[in-house]
Amino acid sequence: MSDTGTSDVIGRRVEVNGELATVRFSGIVPPVAGLWLGVEWDNPERGKHDGSHEGTVYFKCRHPTGGSFIRPNKVNFGIDFLTAVKNRYILEDGPEEDGKEQVVVIGNKPVETIGFDSVIKQQSELSKLQDISLRSCAVSGAGDKGGIAKACPNIRKIDLSKNLLSSWEEVICIADQLQHLEVLNLSENKLKFPSVSPPLTGTFSSLKVLVLNRTGITWAEVLQCASAWPVLEELYLESDNICISERPTDVLQMVKLLDLSSNQSIDENQLFLIAYLPRLEQLILSNTGISSIHFPDAEIGCKTSMFPSLQYLVVNDNRISQWSFINELEKLQRLQALSCLRNPLTAASPDSKEAQTTRQLIIAKIGQLKTLNKCEVLPEERRGAELDYRKAFGSDWKKAGGHQDPDKNRPSEDFLAAHPRFQLLCLKYGAPEDAEFQIQQPFMLKNQLLNSMTVQKVKGLLSRLLKVPVSELQLSYESPKMPGREIILENDLQSLQFYSVESGDCLLVRW
Amino acid sequence: MTLLMLSKNTCLVLTYNGLFQRECLSIHIGQAGIQIGDACWELYCLEHGIQPDGILLDSKQHQLENANMEHMSTSFNTFFCETRAGNHVPRALFMDLEPTVIDGIRTGKYRSLFHPEQLVSGKEDAANNYARGRYSVGSEIIDLVLERIRKLAEQCSGLQGFLIFRSFGGGTGSGFTSLLMEQLSAEYSRKTKLEFAVYPAPRISTAVVEPYNSILTTHSTIEHLDCAFMVDNEALYDICHHKLGVERPSYANINRLIGQVVSSITASLRFEGPLNVDLIEFQTNLVPYPRIHFPMTTFAPIISAEKTYHVQPSVSDITAACFELSNQLVKCNPQLGKYMACCLLYRGDVIPKDVNAAIAAVKSRNSVQFVDWCPTGFKVGVNNHPPEVMPGGDLAKLRRAVCMLSNTTAIVEAWARLDHKFDLMYAKRAFLHWYIQEGMEQGEFSEAREDLAALEKDYEEVGHSS
Repeated sequence: MSDTGTSDVIGRRVEVNGELATVRFSGIVPPVAGLWLGVEWDNPERGKHDGSHEGTVYFKCRHPTGGSFIRPNKVNFGIDFLTAVKNRYILEDGPEEDGKEQVVVIGNKPVETIGFDSVIKQQSELSKLQDISLRSCAVSGAGDKGGIAKACPNIRKIDLSKNLLSSWEEVICIADQLQHLEVLNLSENKLKFPSVSPPLTGTFSSLKVLVLNRTGITWAEVLQCASAWPVLEELYLESDNICISERPTDVLQMVKLLDLSSNQSIDENQLFLIAYLPRLEQLILSNTGISSIHFPDAEIGCKTSMFPSLQYLVVNDNRISQWSFINELEKLQRLQALSCLRNPLTAASPDSKEAQTTRQLIIAKIGQLKTLNKCEVLPEERRGAELDYRKAFGSDWKKAGGHQDPDKNRPSEDFLAAHPRFQLLCLKYGAPEDAEFQIQQPFMLKNQLLNSMTVQKVKGLLSRLLKVPVSELQLSYESPKMPGREIILENDLQSLQFYSVESGDCLLVRW
Repeated sequence: MTLLMLSKNTCLVLTYNGLFQRECLSIHIGQAGIQIGDACWELYCLEHGIQPDGILLDSKQHQLENANMEHMSTSFNTFFCETRAGNHVPRALFMDLEPTVIDGIRTGKYRSLFHPEQLVSGKEDAANNYARGRYSVGSEIIDLVLERIRKLAEQCSGLQGFLIFRSFGGGTGSGFTSLLMEQLSAEYSRKTKLEFAVYPAPRISTAVVEPYNSILTTHSTIEHLDCAFMVDNEALYDICHHKLGVERPSYANINRLIGQVVSSITASLRFEGPLNVDLIEFQTNLVPYPRIHFPMTTFAPIISAEKTYHVQPSVSDITAACFELSNQLVKCNPQLGKYMACCLLYRGDVIPKDVNAAIAAVKSRNSVQFVDWCPTGFKVGVNNHPPEVMPGGDLAKLRRAVCMLSNTTAIVEAWARLDHKFDLMYAKRAFLHWYIQEGMEQGEFSEAREDLAALEKDYEEVGHSS
């Protein structure tokens, strides 16, 4: 190799003892003789320096310990696609150990492996292969031109995740030879994308599912390459640090599923840019940090023209804490299923009353929701939720200017914004009667409650006061020190002190 | 005396059927059995490309979405019967003592798949009462059911055996199954009988008298069954809730999961594979003693649909996952017991090299302990046909999956729990009169309880070092 090294080595993806890296430099590093390769590790802490050595900068790294110099012979440049397929799906030599089946021993128990030869033989017929997995097989390129097309042309699904592919051009070389390719998984390959759209050659004419998780691809690059994916239906871009920068105009028009999970740079304003994809049915926005959503083109009670085909929205693990988010979702035309777990709004423990209430509120607020958190919303559940909602907010409605008489019914803007469906529910079930409003007011006890009093005694006191039999009373208390937690006073024979009731706590009585 | 003279030119020609079919009949009993069956056959149809009216996609020459059609062979004739019209009819019988659940199938998506005679329903249900299912109401319908089974069996050229789906806790599932098992043993003595049973969940109860029904049915069917795969609702609820992000799992969610497991177990019966595991092979490899036939089922990987492609579990990953408590379909702790036999059924993109490496990794786990007297550790099956998932379901698309069937002594924990609950109620003779008035005797209860106590002792004995 020449002193400056072959330029085609720069930018190649390599593997050293299980760690992946990109070659940034090839040449001499004085004072040590011989050829060195300068690599930038994927793992920023694996290296020793940032590309400079004794003052001279040989290459640049993003992290101060991201780079190393390695001898070329220690580095694995990978193998080509066809070799990888053969390695995995063909047995190199015949059965080992003079024809006996392989025996693995665990502890003192040997494991029978029966019939593996026929498995191996079957898989050897490469031309029959349709669905293959070459994950972590160190595939770096397509190999000889036409080799793949000759050997295994019928491949429809490939998993090429975590390999050594370094550029989109390499991917095209492989895909060019596979006319029936429908599913391509390129996750965890750090690919370099061309700066201009590659010419359209019908390469991905059958590609329906493309997985580009953890490839570092940018949105602009997606759109550039997307013109080559005319029939793409599912696009996965998880953990790519995507920032949606422009609107897809002629591309991605057939996409039905878009997975943007774990892209923390996404915010609600970017969503407007993908709001007009005509066929988008499922949108996954888990773990993106969004907290609000807004459809400015529709007023309260109207439907938005954004996301016209969206049926299933996933917003788990985000920062949604306001009910206004749920209110906005009601504006979507076709939303049928929602998954909204592990948000501050829905963070209550699953079996608690709070979770039950949250579920009911979401159901009541989004009229056409058929599935919530993967549980079907049955008609009875919907009816119950809507009736409860109407009752629960009835007094607020009254206070805000609502009235059973339609002429006098003028609830405030604020109320309508917070409860966009309320009027609709009134039409459906009738306006709530005044008598339905349960007004709970705390009242002061004339007698002081002592810590040493037993629960039974307190119940006796309350029973005389409220004229309710003791057996029907249920006591619990809430402490301002632990907001949201209600502690039930179960055992009548224990004292209030046993339950750590302190002054300032609020005693709740139910019957 | 007449002699049959054969001239020199004639010879006796034995008709050779080519592939000797090894058919399996599935019998679904009670609400649990039927609803699980619904999920199973839906999945089988998806896997084989059979449409809801029984026509194979292939013969309609549609654009084959599922490219795996090319591997189509006649192996799925073990589960489907092809009529002259080209319909594929499942070799299954659905029965219940009351019509509501079966009507669901009669009016559901797959109503044209089944012949009306395969859906048998009575008028009066068993009301969670073993005695009604076994004696009073069950006895009225048993002849009809046997006749239908006979008809299905006649269509088979080489019936291997039966797969029974039922729950322990229900009246039909417990009582009627006991009755049916006895009759089947009498009529088809040499056929294997395997069952998939829904075991009453430890903390979630659907009926107060579940322990009674479970103990009674286990006692009467233990002699007639060759192997019983148990699943319990609580383990399934937990899996659905924690791993699949289902807030409140319903039976629909759970049954789809069970369907996946059943499909994995029956995969080598339905697809041509290098390791064709006959029903008899299950018995021989998993059951060391006739009564110790309750293996535990584990399935991996269980990934939520929204996380499709986020992780790519390798063969080692899924094998290791089989030994995690959270992937088990029955709540018990195998670390407290010893393994007697282990069957790993892989499907999808699995090559032998990976399997060997995966099993070698398992050996380093101290928690996997085998009994001293067991000669071989694991039996491995590989079926290259990839697992399918129901579209719109909770599970992510899987490249490869594994179902582990392990006969572990730790499952005695499940029996001990049930026996304890039985004792609590029986000590007070609570609810007993419902059974007595249908014609049962108290003696049967004590007999059943003793049998289960003996079963617990049997497990203890096999677990002991010799």
